[in-house]
Amino acid sequence: MGLLRRHPALVPGLLFSAALLVAPALAERGTLNDLWNMAFFVVLAAAWNLLGGFAGQVSLGYSAFVGIGAYTTVLLANAGWSPWLTLPVGAALAAAFSVVVGLPTFRLRGPYFTIATIGVGEAVRVIASGLEFTGGSSGVRMPPGTFDFNSNYYAMVGLALFTLGLVAWLQQHAFGLALEAIRQDIDGAEALGVNSTEVKLQAHAISSALVALAGGLFATNFQYISPGSVFDFRLSLTIVLMPIVGGMGTLTGPVLGAMLFSYLQIKLLASPALRDSYLFIYGGLLIVVMLFEPKGIMGLWERLWSKLPRRRTTAIAEARRAS
Amino acid sequence: MPAESAPILAVSSVSKRFGGLLALDTVSFQVQPKEIFSVIGPNGAGKTTLFSCLVGAVHPTSGSVRFRGQELSGLRNDQIVTRGLVRTHQIVKPFRDMTVADNVRVGVLYGRLRLRGAKAREQVDEVLGRTQLVHRADAKAGVLSIGELKRLEIARALATGPEVLCLDEVMGGLNPAEIQQAMALVRALRDTGLTILMIEHHVHAVAGLSDRLVVLNFGKKIAEGQPGEVLRDPAVVAAYLGDETKEEARA
Repeated sequence: MGLLRRHPALVPGLLFSAALLVAPALAERGTLNDLWNMAFFVVLAAAWNLLGGFAGQVSLGYSAFVGIGAYTTVLLANAGWSPWLTLPVGAALAAAFSVVVGLPTFRLRGPYFTIATIGVGEAVRVIASGLEFTGGSSGVRMPPGTFDFNSNYYAMVGLALFTLGLVAWLQQHAFGLALEAIRQDIDGAEALGVNSTEVKLQAHAISSALVALAGGLFATNFQYISPGSVFDFRLSLTIVLMPIVGGMGTLTGPVLGAMLFSYLQIKLLASPALRDSYLFIYGGLLIVVMLFEPKGIMGLWERLWSKLPRRRTTAIAEARRAS
Repeated sequence: MPAESAPILAVSSVSKRFGGLLALDTVSFQVQPKEIFSVIGPNGAGKTTLFSCLVGAVHPTSGSVRFRGQELSGLRNDQIVTRGLVRTHQIVKPFRDMTVADNVRVGVLYGRLRLRGAKAREQVDEVLGRTQLVHRADAKAGVLSIGELKRLEIARALATGPEVLCLDEVMGGLNPAEIQQAMALVRALRDTGLTILMIEHHVHAVAGLSDRLVVLNFGKKIAEGQPGEVLRDPAVVAAYLGDETKEEARA
C-alpha cells in the first residue's frame, strides 16, 4: 500500500505498459508508429529530467546526444556491424562526450549553464554538417536489410520502461537525494559533503547514454539521418519542453509531457496549415505553464487533488459549528 | 589552558581580502581537541569570514589552516566536510522543499561517514533525537519556526559526522529558555568528543561555555585567552563599547 501511495501512477502505468507491449499484435502500423514516437519522446524527456528536473541543470544541448547515438549506429552499421551492437558504443561515446562537455560547463550556474549548452549543441551540428565521413549536411543512410519495425518497436518501448525504472530507482537512493539537494541549494549541498560536480557529471553521463540509445534506435527506424534531423536545435527544445510542461523533477511528469507532445506533433505535422507554426504553439504552451503552473501538469494535478479533501473537511467543520 | 597536546586545528596567519577590504588580517590561533573555543567581536569583525575560510567555502588570500596536522588550503568545501570539519550558517538555509529528515539524510549519506541503509536511518534518528526534531521529521523544512530552523542547522552539520563543529551564532534570535537548551546541547556535544568552535554574541553563553576564546576587531586578533580575563581586557571592552577613556577626556 505504501508503494501505491507514493506512486499513484503505478497501476495505470503498468496497465499502459502492458497495452504497449501487446499493441503490435492488435494495432495498425500507423498507430504503432505513433506509439513508437511516444516511447522515443518518453526516453528523451525522462532521461533529460534526471539532470534538468531533479538537479535543476537545464541543458538545451541534448540533441547532441541523440545525434551521437544515431550517427554511431549508422556509421558502424555501414562498416558492417549489427545495428544492435552499435547501440552500447553510441551510449558510451555520448557518456564520454557528456563528461568532456560537463567539466567546463558545470562550473557555470543557472542560465549561464543553459546558454553554454546551446553553444555546445550548435557546435556539434555544425561539425557534423562539415565532416566528410558523416556525409556532411546531406546525411547518411543505413545499409539495406537493417530495418525491422517490430523489433525496433519493442526495443524502444523497453528502453522507455527501463529509463523510467532507473529514474524511479535512483530517486529512492542517495543519488536522487543529492540531485534534489543540488537543485534546491548547490552551496548547501556542498556544505554537507556533496561533491556537486561529480554528481552532476554522473547524472549527465547516465541521461546522455540513455538519449544516445534512443538516437541509435531512431536511426535504425528511419534508415536515414542528417544533421538537420538529429542535431536540430528544435529537437533540443522539444526535449526540454516535455518535462517542463509535464512537471520537472517528477517521475510521471515527463511521461505526460511526452504523450502530449507526441500527440501535438502528430496532429501538427499532419496539418499543412500548422506544420510551420508548431514552435509558436510550443512557445505559447511554455508561457502558459510558466505563468500559471510552473510545476506543470503534475503541479496542476497536485493542486486539484489537495483541494478535494480540504473542501470536505471544511464542510465537516462548518456542519459542526452549525449544530 | 588545557593540557598541551597536538592542536586539532591550527590557524596560521590567515588573511582574506575582498577587493579593497581586508576582512581578515593575519589571524592565528590553535584549538585543542574537545575544547569549546569561541570567536567573538563586534559586527563586521570578520568572524563569519573566518569560518568560511576554515571550511573552504571561500579560500584565504594567504596563510594556512591545518586540521589534525593536514593542510586544508586549496581543498573544496565538500572535501573539508568529508574530512570532519563542518560549519553551521548564521543565516539558516535549509533545503526548504525537503523534509527535516531528508535535510539531515543528505549529510549522513554524503558527509564524513557516508553511511547507507539501516545504519544511515539510525544516524538520522540519532541526530534528530539529539536536536529535538523527531516530532518534525516529516515536516517540510520551509514551515519550521526560527528555533526549530536553528536546531535543524545544527542537525544538518552534525549529520555529516564532524570532529570539529563550527557554530555560527546558533543562539541568535532564541528566547532565554531556548538559549539554555542550546547551551546544554553544546556541552553535551563536547562530552561526546567533539571539538566546538563558536561565534556567539550572547555574553552569558560565551562566558559559561568557552574554555578559551579569541576576539577579532576589524579583521585582527586583539585578544586570546580564558573568558574571565579576556572579557575584562580593556582593549576588548573598548572594541565592543567604544573607547570610554577618550569619550571622558573629550567631555
